[in-house]
Amino acid sequence: MGRLVLVRRDQVLQGGQPLAFLIGIFSALLIGILLLAVSGHDALAVYERMFDASIGSSKAWSLTLNRAVPLGLAGLAVAVAGRMGLWNIGAEGQILAGAMMAAWVARIGESWPSPLLITVMLLAAVLGGALLGLGPAVARAQIGVNEIITTLMLNEVALRMLQWLIHGPWKDPESRGFPLAPILPEGARLPGLFQQAHWGAVIALLVIILFGLVASRTAWGYELRVAGSSGATALYAGISLKRKILTVLVLSGGIAGLAGGIELSGSSDRIVEGISGGYGFAGIIVAALALMRPSGVAAVALLFGAVQVGGLSIQTMGVSSSVSTILQALILFGAIGAGVFSRYSVKRVSKENQEVQ
Amino acid sequence: MITLLDMSSPTPPAVNLVDVWKRFPGVVANAGATLSVTEGTIHAVLGENGAGKSTLMNVLSGMYRPDSGEIQIKGQQFWFRSPADALAAGIGMVHQEFRLIPSFTVAENVVLGASERILRRSSIEAQVGDVANEFGLKIDPTRPVWQLSMGERQRVEILKSLWRNAQILILDEPTAVLTPSEANELGTVLREMANSGRSIIFISHKLHEVKEFCDEATVLRGGETVAASLLVKDTDTVKLAGLMVGSSPSTISRPTPQSQGTPLLTVSGIGALDDRFLPAIQDLNLTVHGGEIVGIAGVSGNGQREIAQVIAGLRPVTSGKIIINGEDLTNALPVERFRAGLGYVPEDRLGVGLAPRLNIIENAILRNYRNLRQGPLLAEERMRTYCEDIINRFGVRSGLLGDPIAGLSGGNLQRLLVGRELSGNPKVLVAAQPTRGLDVKGVKAIQDLLVAERSDGVAILLISEDLDELLTLSDRLLVMHEGMIVGEFDPTTAKRHDIGAAMAGEVAT
Amino acid sequence: MSEASMIGLLSAAVSFGALLYLAALGELISEKAGILNLGVEGMMAVGAVTGFMVALETENAWVALLAAMLVGALFALIHGFFTVVLGAEQVVSGLSLTILGLGASAFVGKNAVGKPSGAVLASVDWGPLSDIPWAGPILFSQSPLVYFAILAGLAAAFVLTRTSTGLALRGAGESASTVDAAGHSVVRLRLGAIATGGALAGASGAYLTLSLTPQWTEGVTAGRGWIAVALVIFGAWRPGRCAVGALLFGGLLALKSRLQTFGVDLSPILLSMIPYLLTIGVLIVISIRARHRPSSAPAALGQAYRREER
Repeated sequence: MGRLVLVRRDQVLQGGQPLAFLIGIFSALLIGILLLAVSGHDALAVYERMFDASIGSSKAWSLTLNRAVPLGLAGLAVAVAGRMGLWNIGAEGQILAGAMMAAWVARIGESWPSPLLITVMLLAAVLGGALLGLGPAVARAQIGVNEIITTLMLNEVALRMLQWLIHGPWKDPESRGFPLAPILPEGARLPGLFQQAHWGAVIALLVIILFGLVASRTAWGYELRVAGSSGATALYAGISLKRKILTVLVLSGGIAGLAGGIELSGSSDRIVEGISGGYGFAGIIVAALALMRPSGVAAVALLFGAVQVGGLSIQTMGVSSSVSTILQALILFGAIGAGVFSRYSVKRVSKENQEVQ
Repeated sequence: MITLLDMSSPTPPAVNLVDVWKRFPGVVANAGATLSVTEGTIHAVLGENGAGKSTLMNVLSGMYRPDSGEIQIKGQQFWFRSPADALAAGIGMVHQEFRLIPSFTVAENVVLGASERILRRSSIEAQVGDVANEFGLKIDPTRPVWQLSMGERQRVEILKSLWRNAQILILDEPTAVLTPSEANELGTVLREMANSGRSIIFISHKLHEVKEFCDEATVLRGGETVAASLLVKDTDTVKLAGLMVGSSPSTISRPTPQSQGTPLLTVSGIGALDDRFLPAIQDLNLTVHGGEIVGIAGVSGNGQREIAQVIAGLRPVTSGKIIINGEDLTNALPVERFRAGLGYVPEDRLGVGLAPRLNIIENAILRNYRNLRQGPLLAEERMRTYCEDIINRFGVRSGLLGDPIAGLSGGNLQRLLVGRELSGNPKVLVAAQPTRGLDVKGVKAIQDLLVAERSDGVAILLISEDLDELLTLSDRLLVMHEGMIVGEFDPTTAKRHDIGAAMAGEVAT
Repeated sequence: MSEASMIGLLSAAVSFGALLYLAALGELISEKAGILNLGVEGMMAVGAVTGFMVALETENAWVALLAAMLVGALFALIHGFFTVVLGAEQVVSGLSLTILGLGASAFVGKNAVGKPSGAVLASVDWGPLSDIPWAGPILFSQSPLVYFAILAGLAAAFVLTRTSTGLALRGAGESASTVDAAGHSVVRLRLGAIATGGALAGASGAYLTLSLTPQWTEGVTAGRGWIAVALVIFGAWRPGRCAVGALLFGGLLALKSRLQTFGVDLSPILLSMIPYLLTIGVLIVISIRARHRPSSAPAALGQAYRREER
């Protein structure tokens, strides 16, 4: 007779989080096998295909890398805000805003030299994302409006904006009625790196490393940590919370916007409705799994990129690509579940209140 | 252990707690505590902060599960798995922090968890009003709780227990938020309840209240019961105080008087608002000279918190002037005040003074990190040296400097905090409740530091709820009431009664 | 603008409004108990696919609806387990639930894409009432789920304000420790609210595939779950105001495909931004007012509760 309760550990288990992450992956793969088997597929063959397609060759790696770029930047965007205890749920919309701004630059700067055009495009993308982050940032800093809801709402607003553009002013006359913007001029395309991979991977990695250094080594990063730990302490130390909230949410938007610019210039050749590809939402999971740490964001983004590429590859076997979507969510749930046990232990409490391990 | 309980008494005690143990990460809160309460009496549970009173009461009210120990109510053994179980056994608790829902009305708060399935607003309000009247509790059941004063909120809490017909009522430091006249009113209500056969457990560290209101007293120290069920009328406050603090007396000797230096902190005509945007301080004037400790006494919630924050620059003023070390810093940022020579020990140690999730180094440099930069980067080596210096000078016992401070004890946290504030060699120090919640040794260490700074010529403003501490340390004692200074006393000659009257706002000197 | 097209618009507004209201009401109940569930979109998708698949199998739309609600509730309890039992971050868990729901519904429904529906919930025939001009077509010839939504709204309002369970549930969203101390189980209250929310979101999803457009396509929910989340805030966490908001937002959805009929020269896409912008506006007003009194948002929304934490 008895029931189970969670008891807080005196100390967090060393290495608990990476372990929890591995357990998350493992349990997700396990549930995946079950799902596939029940629906009449050869689970191991499906997994083999997924591995082959995502990390089995240099081409596979290049595809994975291309997906990891927007995932990593979106994850970093969420993590930047998350370190201060803020939630930017609006990366999805900010990616769109970044892509739209970059596309607009490409339209007016068609004749510019390619390096200049790409640079201006990416800067415009950062600006676009930052602008979309500015509204929630000001509302949060000045009036205390919950940024979760405002950023979430702006996702939908940005999406309608993009739909309006490709159904109307930007519609490609040669698209035979499909809502597509025209294909980008050649000079607006990011140069390739190897196979399918483009320079976006390098830019993303640099941004992640740069933020990692800023966050851990500079006075600004220190102020961010103080503000994230306790707002009242920050005020006491003379750190302006309002300014931190403002910069962090705008910066977060800018990073997500950059993801949109790179996605447009590197991977997609035109503005289409699905250009944000759910990276904004996946980025939240990436950041959560990485515990808001930049290095973790890079690693998790690579994993999720591989899972997504693998998911696309199994369609030819008659398996729905949604398997990869399911796997991503399951990895997170598995990791949360396992992560709890690095902070808590389970004890059985009997009726007589004697605790048994 | 002293036991005066008559074991041959035919009726079992209303409450009997035997050998209760409760550990939290890093702390043993109860180490074999016992308590026996006679039915129909008011029973004081005494002890210093951290003696384990609150934990023991949380065990009795089902909030915490004890690691081991027995709970007997009227002779019957119980195992509480939740507050619901304790409530069912007739135990009601009024917590120090009220468990009330601000947006709910008084009546909704009272009947929460104890009502018919279908609620009829008007009939519930009438019923709650009836119970309140029966015990002389003045309260309007239809008002939302967020509009009520602290004293009124406490009445709602008591009403909750009465509504459930609790036979055993626990009050955790109930007078901390009350004026003396409100406290007396509470005493009358409690006596009424005891006369109706209820048993009341009154947790306090204010000895005169225990003497005034209670029949029996149990004293806890370091999580253990050191005296059980003393008859209050047969004992005196000196003996109780001795039991509370144990062999080592907590008070230090009065610092030798010294001549007044120059005024280093001058506050004139200050007004400020509280968190609800209501006036908290009005036209407040005070001066602290170099080499003196000026104490501020008052019932909590009379503007002490706000005046400390105003001086530290954490709360804007609506009027007046603040001059620190000759500079007008009325509207200056907290950093600028620190540079001008102001140290500030806030009453919320963790969460204002220290950032809980950061490590010891990161907390140690909080005030001074701007001077530890190399370009945009922080200079790691200098950070570490700076931190080690504070740790050595102020005797902070810590583990690794890179560990989060959450692992430090209360006393070491406070040494780190006070040490950091003093490391800037301030001219003025504002210390709000600097010894609250510390053990005897910790209190002594902090008090010694304050006295040493005073000798060095620092102007110290000491805000405390511990009148004994204020009377011992202060050179001058100011009393605050409703946001104003209503009295100034010489601690060597002042009578407690007069100070108490000033705290209640009854006399203006 | 003809009378017929006006009636058509209002009738569609009621129909869309009920669809949004069901999901919003579920989210409202969950949030009132202190749990933010951003999984509405996923729960709706799961409800939609369950309803459609079960209708294919049983050819009974009522059984399909019940199944959708049951599966919706169970699916929502995943969020419940992680946020209430394990105390995980609600934002992350909720979004993962959306992603999981969209993925799982696509996986399960893969072979049902394009199939004709097995059964539909036919409009209720109110007899002579349906023949009343204006009111008849607008109010008395709707899908049964419209009336279900109205009943659910009334029931939720009654339970929340007039019963002890409702008082405790609201209390759990304001201050969980208070409700715990008062002898209620916060875990049970919150899980109950989450499951109810899931069941209503499931019903809303089933409305799509059993009534509105009786077929299954991947992504059939089309972001309506997010409108439902917005609606809760727009309605300031009150069932009545949410109903008004649902009619307004439903009206905008209905107007979208009819703009040209009414001869208005405005992009229907820009029109569909309005609900989100309105919601942001309402949230700002709520936040400004909350400076001087308790906010209308549940005070403990988004906070995990564990009794012995200190």
